[in-house]
Amino acid sequence: MQTAIQIQNVSFAYGAKQVLHDVCMDIPARQVTAYIGPSGCGKSTLLRCFNRINDRISGAHLTAGSIRIHDVDINRADIDLQELRRRVGMVFQKYNPFAKSIYENVAFSLRVAGKTKRADLDDIVEDALKNAALWDEVKDRLHSSAFGLSGGQQQRLCIARAIANQPEILLMDEPCAALDPLATLKIEELISELKKQYTIIIVTHNMTQATRCSDLTAFMYLGKLVEFGPTMQIFENPKDPQTEAYVTGTFG
Amino acid sequence: MFNPETLIRKGLPKGHFKDVAARSFLGGITYLVVAIAVLLFVKIIIDGAPVLFKPEAPFVDLDFLTSKNETLHVFDDAQGNRHQLPAAAYSQYISQHGSATLFNEQTYSYSGGGIAGPIAGTALLTIGSMILALFFGVSAAIYLSEYAKQSPFIHAIRLAILNLAGIPSIVFGLFGFSVFVLAVPVITSTPSDRSLLTIPLLIGNYFLSFQGWNSSLMAGCATLACMILPVIITASEESLRAVPQGFRDASLAMGATRWQTIRKCVLPFSLPGILTSSLLAITRVAGETAPIMFTAAVAAKDDLPWQGLKSPFDILSSQVQALPYHIYTLAARIPSSEFTQRAQYGSVFVFLLLVAFLSLGSMILRAKLRSKLKW
Amino acid sequence: MGIVGTSAVLIFLSVRQSHPTKHLAEMPHENPHPPEPVHRFQKQGFSYENAIKFFFASNAGLTIVILALIIIFLLKEGLGFFPGYQRELEVYRIAGLEFVDISRKNLTAHEQITSVLNRTYYAEINGKCAHQMRRSQEASALFNAYSDLTAPTRDLIVSNSQPDSSPSPEMIASLRTNFEKQKSKALATLPATPHLTPEERQALIESIRSRAFDATDDPPLVASLTTEFAEAREKQVKPLEALRTTIDTFESAGSELSSLVSDMTESVTATKEKIQDADILEKDRKTLLAAASSAEDPIEREKLVSEAQASLAQKPDIEGPIRILMERRPACIAAHQSLKNAAATVSSQLPNTLTQPEASRLLKVAHNLWPLFLADLEKTPQTITDWSHLKPVALSTAISSFITGKDWVTGGEWQDFYGILPLAAGSLMISIVALTLAIPSGIGAAIYVNQFASKREQSLIKPVIEFIQAIPSVVLGFIGILIFGTILRDLSLMDSLSWIPGFPIEERLNIFTAGCLLALMSIPTIFSLAEDAINNVPSAYAEAAEALGASRVQTTFRVIIPAAFSGILAAVLLGFGRVIGETMVVLLVAGNRIKIPDFTSGLGTFFQPCHTLTGIIAQELGEVPLGSVHYRALFIVGILLFAVVLIINATAHRFVNRMKQ
Repeated sequence: MQTAIQIQNVSFAYGAKQVLHDVCMDIPARQVTAYIGPSGCGKSTLLRCFNRINDRISGAHLTAGSIRIHDVDINRADIDLQELRRRVGMVFQKYNPFAKSIYENVAFSLRVAGKTKRADLDDIVEDALKNAALWDEVKDRLHSSAFGLSGGQQQRLCIARAIANQPEILLMDEPCAALDPLATLKIEELISELKKQYTIIIVTHNMTQATRCSDLTAFMYLGKLVEFGPTMQIFENPKDPQTEAYVTGTFG
Repeated sequence: MFNPETLIRKGLPKGHFKDVAARSFLGGITYLVVAIAVLLFVKIIIDGAPVLFKPEAPFVDLDFLTSKNETLHVFDDAQGNRHQLPAAAYSQYISQHGSATLFNEQTYSYSGGGIAGPIAGTALLTIGSMILALFFGVSAAIYLSEYAKQSPFIHAIRLAILNLAGIPSIVFGLFGFSVFVLAVPVITSTPSDRSLLTIPLLIGNYFLSFQGWNSSLMAGCATLACMILPVIITASEESLRAVPQGFRDASLAMGATRWQTIRKCVLPFSLPGILTSSLLAITRVAGETAPIMFTAAVAAKDDLPWQGLKSPFDILSSQVQALPYHIYTLAARIPSSEFTQRAQYGSVFVFLLLVAFLSLGSMILRAKLRSKLKW
Repeated sequence: MGIVGTSAVLIFLSVRQSHPTKHLAEMPHENPHPPEPVHRFQKQGFSYENAIKFFFASNAGLTIVILALIIIFLLKEGLGFFPGYQRELEVYRIAGLEFVDISRKNLTAHEQITSVLNRTYYAEINGKCAHQMRRSQEASALFNAYSDLTAPTRDLIVSNSQPDSSPSPEMIASLRTNFEKQKSKALATLPATPHLTPEERQALIESIRSRAFDATDDPPLVASLTTEFAEAREKQVKPLEALRTTIDTFESAGSELSSLVSDMTESVTATKEKIQDADILEKDRKTLLAAASSAEDPIEREKLVSEAQASLAQKPDIEGPIRILMERRPACIAAHQSLKNAAATVSSQLPNTLTQPEASRLLKVAHNLWPLFLADLEKTPQTITDWSHLKPVALSTAISSFITGKDWVTGGEWQDFYGILPLAAGSLMISIVALTLAIPSGIGAAIYVNQFASKREQSLIKPVIEFIQAIPSVVLGFIGILIFGTILRDLSLMDSLSWIPGFPIEERLNIFTAGCLLALMSIPTIFSLAEDAINNVPSAYAEAAEALGASRVQTTFRVIIPAAFSGILAAVLLGFGRVIGETMVVLLVAGNRIKIPDFTSGLGTFFQPCHTLTGIIAQELGEVPLGSVHYRALFIVGILLFAVVLIINATAHRFVNRMKQ
């Protein structure tokens, strides 16, 4: 089983405030890994390190360790940041399509990558929307505004947008937090389809979602990785007492 | 299959040149604007500072600030020396030496003496209009922020404020002229012929005559107050709304009436913000020319506003000089020459100093406020 | 209204209700139906609180009152304009001035073409002798600079050396010392003479230095260069003789029409005065009758009525003068015919190009004017025949000639015209220049400051731009007149920049200067609103874009700016509103020439002076008699401004609201 991301002794801080302490993990490829833990434990921060979107926040920096994606240290000085973000896609908690048409939303990442031929764009957009299970619902109104879709559809549009460039890894930060149960179900079905092609890391507050969707689970608490292993083992046979306390609902 | 090597940048990132070009272009435009502004200030400082500042104590040419504006007489005396004297000194010279000894005489209006008259006039206009505007404006803001609920009345008020804020200053000049100079009611015993309406009052021989206040300090203050009212209302409402709702809720929950709540829990905390924005409003009021051109300002006046009055109230009905109008006169109505430069650049410099002082003061106040009121 | 509110509060304070609760036991027993006991929580009557609320509400309502007053009084003063203007146009027609103007228009066009042709002729000659001209001018300028500085003292010495004066020796000595001082100062600050050789310059300076004290003639070099220039011009005159004759023929072809027009002018002006006097008398009579009907004292009434009868206006004789005027019709038509024939022959005799570029340009202008001129001359006889003084002037004519009139002429002796096209054109052209400069700068700066600048840069740039906003407009106008205008004109005189259309500029106060200053004024407005709009774009957009692999610049231009678009548009519109409504800068700097700019010079049009809607009000309101047609016209211009700015602001706010969603 290939390793997609190697996290070696990573410590991370926002300015003076240390939020991740010495995290070590190997994320396998083509599987769904879930991060669970109470609020403020650093799971979103860790996720956002993988595509270096934390760079937008001034003062955020890696204080120790390295993150290697397919054996390339993503924090090296000569990294192509834009290419990294094309290889590692992200879907956010609150769906945020651009104020453009559905077609343009999906085509955005292709255009910024330099593709302009209309025929190519059409094909790729169609593929992405099909893979995001949205094509049938929107194929007749590709050029209408993205805001005309329902919440769940907008989030699937964001997923389509993120996979348009065929990334290796897909990061999902609580993708169903703003959706109703029906929409959530659709997204979870989608995830099990997508994992055939992409490595997926999903941060979730909902433990049952982790049990439904993921192959591996990592439990984090106060910036430290407490336990990491197959989902069934974490939920049925947690090794660490803290893990057991959390998954049984004693705290959090 | 994914080739991780693509993650490593060879040389400059793609689109680097476009990036740099865009940033430098935009940065260039921005700094060009900044540079032009700075050059302007510097030019005025270079030309105006020598007029106002002297190398000896007290370092400021108080004469310029405190003498009345007079005509400048330039002449040569019998020795070929060139004299530049303002009108008062000129008459003195004549009485001493006689007028036969003067050659090549030229006069330059408004270029001699100082700018005490315009400064006094502007000060009076500003104080008067700010008192009016603050009184009515803060009251209106209190209503809008504390009492108002959604209603057609409120909608109409907000619409009115938005529209008033956009009206050009010359239209305010027309408004002030047609309403305050020609039409507002006056109590007088001798109504003029062009009065719109004359209502005899019960006491004495007095009438309420709608004939306006003529061009006067009162009319100017009222016009300027109307002009600055929307600005004051908007700024005051913002300051009032910045006070946390919790203060009001706590006060009302303890049984205080609405007015008591406003008076004790809201106004004191919003007053600093209101005052800060008033400073900026003052710069605007002091600087406007068009509204006062036909309602209060006069180009030449021998006395300062409080001199030569029959009764103290007459100051309200007298015309005044004003600094922006003075600068307009100096720039437009007289030909420019080396003799008029002192008056021109000096006035502009003093005016800019005033504006800079007030703006800086407001910025400092704003910063101090933000650090003091942390809620 | 606030004063009313205050007094209302004071009155009510003095009759404030006492404490609401009453003890039942104190009620008189005769009352069979005791009133309901009042609960402690219940309010009674008109309370203090309500009065305060009413006070504040009335102050808020003050804004509506002010807006209403503005609209009402502007309309009150302005609406009387159209009937008044209609009457003026009526008099214009009835007295025959309109008839005269038919011919005068062609006369003016003839004069204009003649002037252009003359300028062409002299441009050709001067261009060919440009070198000699410059040399002569520079030498004279040098000598004049010297004379200006030394003349006053020199004159003093001369006047004191007259036989009838008895100066003291000390005075003469000090005057002479002064003179020497001024002479050396003048010689040290002489202007440059690029077209004179260094030897010539030296020789000239030497000849000035060693001049006799009372010499009155020019230094030898100045005189010789003047002669040289004159000779060069003489040489050029010969080859252009044909052109000169052609121009002279054309010029004289208009003399017949010119004398006709001046004759007719006298008689129609007299008729117009008679009509105007009669109108005034009629108005007085009506006023007297109105006063009579409202007078209570019968004797007073009698007196007024008799006064009214006495001043019954003699209806002026219009038909007589008109008949005489109409007798001139054939003469007018004949004069036009001969002018047309002369013009036709002249146009074919003109060359197509000349050697000097300026001359060629002017020649082209003349050629362009020809077809219109000939067409007008063709149509005029019919217009003259068709004209009748009895055609009525409708109110709509007054309105349309106001809105589409090309002339705003007031205070003249002939006829006042109120057409706002030149003013509106001026305002619009200045706005175009201002916005062309301000929009890229303001929006560019906003994008830079919000997206790309560091915190330190932001804290430096923002206050500077905000400070520009605090500068009063009259100060900017001052800067424009004294500093900017001169710089611009000196720049335009430089040979290296002569390729720019419109250079060298003739007037230093023009559309471009005013536009630049207005751009400076409106940049802060556009900047802060655009920056606000860009700031309000949710950061989620930028985050999503960067997570998709977009670079900073791509994110800014592909995602953020389009999202902030309606806010940016609102910023531009509000900047436009500010520019159109600005008064003092345009009054001082735009040149104040009331004429539609001459668009034939292409981009050079922007370097012509103009007048504006705002400037005309500021300039003329102080001089008009109250209630006159001119006075009301200015108020109509004010209403127009008010309406335009209102529409712009309303549109802008609609965009702001859309942005806020």
